[in-house]
Formats: sequence, structure tokens, C-alpha cells
Amino acid sequence: MTVVEGLLIAAFLAVLGRLFAGPSPWDRVLAYNAASNRLVVLLAVLAAAAGKEFYLDMIITYAGVSFLGVLVIARFMERGELHR
Amino acid sequence: MIGMILIGIGTGFVLIGTIGILRLPDIYSRLQASGVSDNAGVGLILIGLMVRSGLTPISLGLGLLLVLILVTNPIVTHAIAKSAFVNRHSGEEKE
Repeated sequence: MTVVEGLLIAAFLAVLGRLFAGPSPWDRVLAYNAASNRLVVLLAVLAAAAGKEFYLDMIITYAGVSFLGVLVIARFMERGELHR
Repeated sequence: MIGMILIGIGTGFVLIGTIGILRLPDIYSRLQASGVSDNAGVGLILIGLMVRSGLTPISLGLGLLLVLILVTNPIVTHAIAKSAFVNRHSGEEKE
């Protein structure tokens, strides 16, 4: 399990590189969504290894809030007022 | 054993998606890499964790998280792709 956690942390940091160096704003939104997915999976692995079921409530809340944030930012940028 | 195999395959999908996000040249190619392989990797890792933890409340929470991610991730990918396509298309036509 430690190998899986290390690989997920490496994937999270690599996607954060695309978040900082993305050429267009959509690249940054996409990289934020991918990084939040990797973080959710990493926290789920840690919660299943620790055996605490109330960690998963916070992870589900974080996944829902991240989904709403990315969707709102994408719909804002569809009208073309945020990226100029 | 089956759980560890599923978790390993899912981690491979997540790493392939990371390489695709870092190396592909276009925003639509990156959306393809992110949206498809992230769904497969996250789903396989969560199913593997459910198999490993057995019939406990942790398995129920992992199932809820799996359903949430499998519903919301294609919606996010579609919203980003539609936003990029609409803006770039109309912007190129205007100038």
C-alpha cells in the first residue's frame, strides 16, 4: 500500500506542475480537477488503511465541493468574462 | 489478492493519465487523457479498496464515493470541453 500511496503523491505533484505552467486557463481548470481526483483517491486509500469510516464523510464532502467549484468556473469561462 | 491486483491496475491507469496530461500538445487531447483514464483508474482503485475492506461501513462509504466520482467526472470534462470549444471558436471568428 505504501507504494500505491507514493505513486499517487507523485502523480498529484506532476499534475500540479501542469496547473502552474498551463498555457491556457482551461488547462489550469483541467489540472485542478485532475489533482483533486488524485487527492480524493489518496485520501480514500489512507482512510481505508486507517480503518476510520468518518474520514470518508469528509472525503465525500470534499469531492462534492470540488465538483461544484470546477463546474461553476467552467460555466463562468464559457461566457468569456473571466479569461481576458 | 484480487483487491491488490485491481488497485495496481488502477494506479497504472492514473499514472498513464498523468503522463498524458503532462505530455500531450492540445487542450482537447489533455481532456481526453484526463477524462477517460481518470475514470477508469479511480473506479478500479476504489473497487479494489472495497474488495479489500470487506462488508463494513468503510465499504459503504467507498461505494458512495465511487458513485459520486463516476457521476461527476464526465460532467466536469464535458463542461470544460464545451467552454474551451465555444470560446476559442467564437474568438477566432471575431478576429
